[in-house]
Amino acid sequence: MQEILSNLALGFSVAASPVNLGLCLVGALVGTLVGVLPGIGTIATVAMLLPITFGLPPVGALIMLAGIYYGAQYGGSTTSILVNIPGEAGSVVTALDGHAMAKKGRAGPALAIAAIGSFFAGCVATVLIALLGAPLTKLALAFGPAEYFSLMVLGLIFAVVLAKGSVLKAIAMIVLGLLLSMVGSDIETGASRMAFNIPELADGLGFATVAMGLFGFAEIIRNLDAGSATNRDLVQDKVTGLMPTAKDLKESAPAIVRGTALGSILGILPGGGAVIASFAAYTLEKKISKNPRSFGHGNIRGVAGPESANNAAAQTSFIPLLTLGIPPNAVMALMVGAMTIHGIIPGPQVMQKQPELVWGMIASMWLGNLMLLIINLPLVGIWVRLLRVPYRLMFPSIVVFCAIGIYSVNNAPTDVVLAGIFGLLGYWLIKHDFEPAPLLLGMVLGPLMEENLRRAMLIARGDASVYFWRCVQPAGQRLPSGDIAALTFGDYAKGCISPMLLLLSFVLIVIAILPSIRSKRDEVFVEES
Amino acid sequence: MTDATGPSPGKSGLLSFIKSPQDFFGGLALMAIAAFAYWASSDLQGMRGFTFGPGTAPRLFSALLFFLGGGIAITGLLTDGPSLQKYGVRGPFFVSLAILAFAIMIRPLGLVVTAFLSFMIAAMGSDETKWVEAAIVGACLTLFCSLLFPYALGLPLQLWPRFLIQ
Repeated sequence: MQEILSNLALGFSVAASPVNLGLCLVGALVGTLVGVLPGIGTIATVAMLLPITFGLPPVGALIMLAGIYYGAQYGGSTTSILVNIPGEAGSVVTALDGHAMAKKGRAGPALAIAAIGSFFAGCVATVLIALLGAPLTKLALAFGPAEYFSLMVLGLIFAVVLAKGSVLKAIAMIVLGLLLSMVGSDIETGASRMAFNIPELADGLGFATVAMGLFGFAEIIRNLDAGSATNRDLVQDKVTGLMPTAKDLKESAPAIVRGTALGSILGILPGGGAVIASFAAYTLEKKISKNPRSFGHGNIRGVAGPESANNAAAQTSFIPLLTLGIPPNAVMALMVGAMTIHGIIPGPQVMQKQPELVWGMIASMWLGNLMLLIINLPLVGIWVRLLRVPYRLMFPSIVVFCAIGIYSVNNAPTDVVLAGIFGLLGYWLIKHDFEPAPLLLGMVLGPLMEENLRRAMLIARGDASVYFWRCVQPAGQRLPSGDIAALTFGDYAKGCISPMLLLLSFVLIVIAILPSIRSKRDEVFVEES
Repeated sequence: MTDATGPSPGKSGLLSFIKSPQDFFGGLALMAIAAFAYWASSDLQGMRGFTFGPGTAPRLFSALLFFLGGGIAITGLLTDGPSLQKYGVRGPFFVSLAILAFAIMIRPLGLVVTAFLSFMIAAMGSDETKWVEAAIVGACLTLFCSLLFPYALGLPLQLWPRFLIQ
């Protein structure tokens, strides 16, 4: 407890410095600003704004990025409530009841409840990160390459199981991402792989480049297809009566608590994160409600539950990233990209060697949420005006902004062309109903997985089955001295971690393919239609 | 996400036995990508001592992708699903052209000229574009970016064409 408090104190002392406070504010504001623009989801926002953090010191950059992230998420829910165009899958369910409330002239309370719910969820999640951070880091330090590899396999499988849509297609996207991550120089031998003697490819595909292509450019091209068909019917020109009534608060309070609990759990699990959390929270609220028919017609719980879950999951998904160094979803994968650009390899070592970085970021999340609550409610008027910007003016601006951003990473024109190619690839993927998010996750995890697998093989002298036998072997053989008495339960358990993780992944994938489970899983996502 | 159109009524002629063209062709394309990757990494060394060489993992994953693509294609043959979606031409073309133009112009012409011209090229991608309006917004964006990136963010970007500076 003492440790946690002192860690948090350190964090707040870092986050509360005027510069970092300012960066957090700017991040949250800019994130909201871009997130509000219809048709731009959270991932696209973070990818687009990545370059503006390059010039900052690492702590400031991460604080700002985290601010951009939850700002974008808040902006997304504003769009779905006011114009019924959810920027991304996570806020689809918010649009159901939130937009219905807006149609009844209650956009203000809907926005306020979304903000309050998010803030509450943010507070809980911050405490959770602080509580779980240290023990998980200790666990992570005990992991060897075999354990890491198994953990990443499990993470990727979770991502497949918790995502919506076809399991087969999601796995294919992950493998495509893994394959793309192999382009460039081999980590151990330096051999050039699939680079076709193009010097710009020798260093591998830039992560920001791929992300901006797949999420920025591809979205723009896709939105252009829709043309003027996407009319943005702004239901309320002026948002008045922001404050929710006492009845609203009383009704939504339990939903906020339930949403937060559900979101926190689902956020830690690798995979869907915020998306599945909001869907699951909505389904839960509908199931336990006495009056399920009122959902979809402006029930405030249908806003409170998913929005809290969304935000809780968004924040707890930092836990696996900060402690294990494994990004659980595409946004966290972007964070890894950003950290790598600043020369930080996320993982347990960062938590130990640069505590001010990690705890500063955690504390800034809480401060950022508070800022969002205070700033955004009065600023709703500005966001509403932004929604009126016609797409025909917005999309060329985004194209140019993204292009400058990509160019500024390495001052390389080739990167811009590559991003364009990935934009077309992303467009094609969308047209064939492939999700680009698992691809990004695979691309980040690819080098880590390969490196750990190779190391594990080397340690096992080429026979990976060692890791399976280690679990069941007579314990004496594992110690050079053969001193069985010295073995603790922990030693036994440690030998079994990697087989257990792999077994769990296997079980999960079998479960996901079973027809009966599949239909249950689709049920959670059914609200979309 | 994407608006699934459901099984199309007008599946015609030769390919009518394919129940879900979207999946079928998507799977085929993945198989092609995988085959290409396998070929591209075929000259790399395989196992090296006790562990993977540079070529093992790429070939392993391309083989895996090939079979997954095959699985998706077969699923597309056998189960009903959405038909192919219509591709836009104008949007993708002009956005790609704008990106390409940016990449070619940024070095010799500098940020100001490049940003404005790319904006105008990209704006051609929509048939709703009004030219005067687009030019004004383009100019404002150019000004904003030329202040934001080199000055506010301190990124080393050259503002004006090279021949003007020298």
